[in-house]
Amino acid sequence: MIQLEHISKRFPDAARPAVDRLSLTVEKGKICVFVGPSGCGKTTILRMINRLVEPDEGTIFIDGKNILQMNPPLLRRTIGYVIQQVGLLPHRTIGQNISLVPELLGWPREKTARKVRELLEMTGLAPEEFENKYPYQLSGGQAQRVGVARALAADPPIMLMDEPFAAVDPIIRMHLQDEFLRVQQHVRKTICFVTHDISEAVKIGDYLVILNQGRLVQSGTPIEILTHPSNDFVSRLIGDDRGSKILDLVRCEAIMDSQAPVTDSPKDNGARVQAVWPVKAALELMMKNNTDEVLVCRDGEAAGTLSWDGIKAHIHRISGGTR
Amino acid sequence: MTVAAFLHDNADLVLEYTANHISLVATTLVLSLALWISVGLAISRNKRLDSVVVGIGNIVFCIPSISLFGLFMAVSGLGLGRRTAVLVLVLYAMMPIVRSVSAAVRAVDSAVVEVGRGMGMTGRQILFRIQLPMAWPSVFAGIRVAVVLITGIATMATFIGEKNLGRLIHQGITRGNADMIIAGALVVSVIALLLDFAMGRIEKKIISPGLRYQAGKE
Repeated sequence: MIQLEHISKRFPDAARPAVDRLSLTVEKGKICVFVGPSGCGKTTILRMINRLVEPDEGTIFIDGKNILQMNPPLLRRTIGYVIQQVGLLPHRTIGQNISLVPELLGWPREKTARKVRELLEMTGLAPEEFENKYPYQLSGGQAQRVGVARALAADPPIMLMDEPFAAVDPIIRMHLQDEFLRVQQHVRKTICFVTHDISEAVKIGDYLVILNQGRLVQSGTPIEILTHPSNDFVSRLIGDDRGSKILDLVRCEAIMDSQAPVTDSPKDNGARVQAVWPVKAALELMMKNNTDEVLVCRDGEAAGTLSWDGIKAHIHRISGGTR
Repeated sequence: MTVAAFLHDNADLVLEYTANHISLVATTLVLSLALWISVGLAISRNKRLDSVVVGIGNIVFCIPSISLFGLFMAVSGLGLGRRTAVLVLVLYAMMPIVRSVSAAVRAVDSAVVEVGRGMGMTGRQILFRIQLPMAWPSVFAGIRVAVVLITGIATMATFIGEKNLGRLIHQGITRGNADMIIAGALVVSVIALLLDFAMGRIEKKIISPGLRYQAGKE
């Protein structure tokens, strides 16, 4: 768990503080996304957690320990760090790049080698193909995977990620995000993730922290923020398509009509979705099959129906009506 | 060919001069590398210090070698001989080495340094595991310039008592013996080329293949 208490930071010659009396808690094993326009202080907050930047005021606790009383290099070895430019060491092979922190920690060679192969496999890079390559031989997407693997190498409980997927093209970015979420299912790290892309934030975050000019504007789960933006700034940040963003987050079971339908009824046109799928998947299916209704299944049994009108009504309700 | 005849007839003398020449260059090189690489690294963090030190190197570099040898012999109190010769040659090696080290270290991608720090490397580890290895290609270019340069300028040390290949050239001039001049110049050039070749081999061993590609591409 990471706790920031009344953190402030003003850089020399800056008109206003980069971070202004900010307090927040990041729960263990969760992905907390800091999102906001450039200059909102999100990167500064991240860099204060591993002490690349020191706060002027306030304290930061990791698992109850005040990090300002810890030795910075030793602290940083327990925190994974990924940045947009990746920053792979060009003179070292992929394997050597990943073993950077284990090397600093003095791991035995065999343990490190095993970990390198395990991480390459986990991030979808074949060890025998990639281990001995040099960074210049990788594509942008592959390099960023190695960046993530390197941050995970010493099994740090915490990861800091500063716009890690911003520099790759949209399709690769989507893959990387999916893969990242899959890896997180395994490793369950406490992750602080910075992005300026609200869609990415909504997709990745368990918890969002919206920042503007160094201040916390709103925080909450993605669905809370999408359904109840606290002010105009948040509404603008979310954008006009928050209805369709919500469709990505809401499960079919949440808005289906659970008047248990009878299979083989006229309503059963063969279009089925799983209860835990996002509503967007149901919409896709409706469009593909040119129908207005799909059957929602849970554990192989029909659990309800979801209709085009039902979805429309739901979006209308949470989007706050006429807009 | 009369140059060949000269070399054959004076083989012992030429060998002695060659050995002296190489040992002078080698001594200078060892000291220069230790001193100027350290200085280059030290000033790379401070832009003002860097311009001052590189400026001094440039000025020294512009002084004609014969006058610098004479000056140090007379003023430093070291007198004739090897110590003065080494001192002056080390000064000539300053500009190419210091400048390339400092510039190359500063040119290292800041994202890589940032990641090094962020992952818990100390300043020293960043210097020796990131900045210096990444700077090697440019540093080596500077060192190779210095090697060829020192080998040539070392001939001038003959005027302050060094018995090296410069003496063949000098005596050749005073005696009007072209063969002698050519023989001296030839052996100096061969030494310079061989040293440069050797440095090239070392460079290949030291510089990571990951960087060789980059250097070739840009």
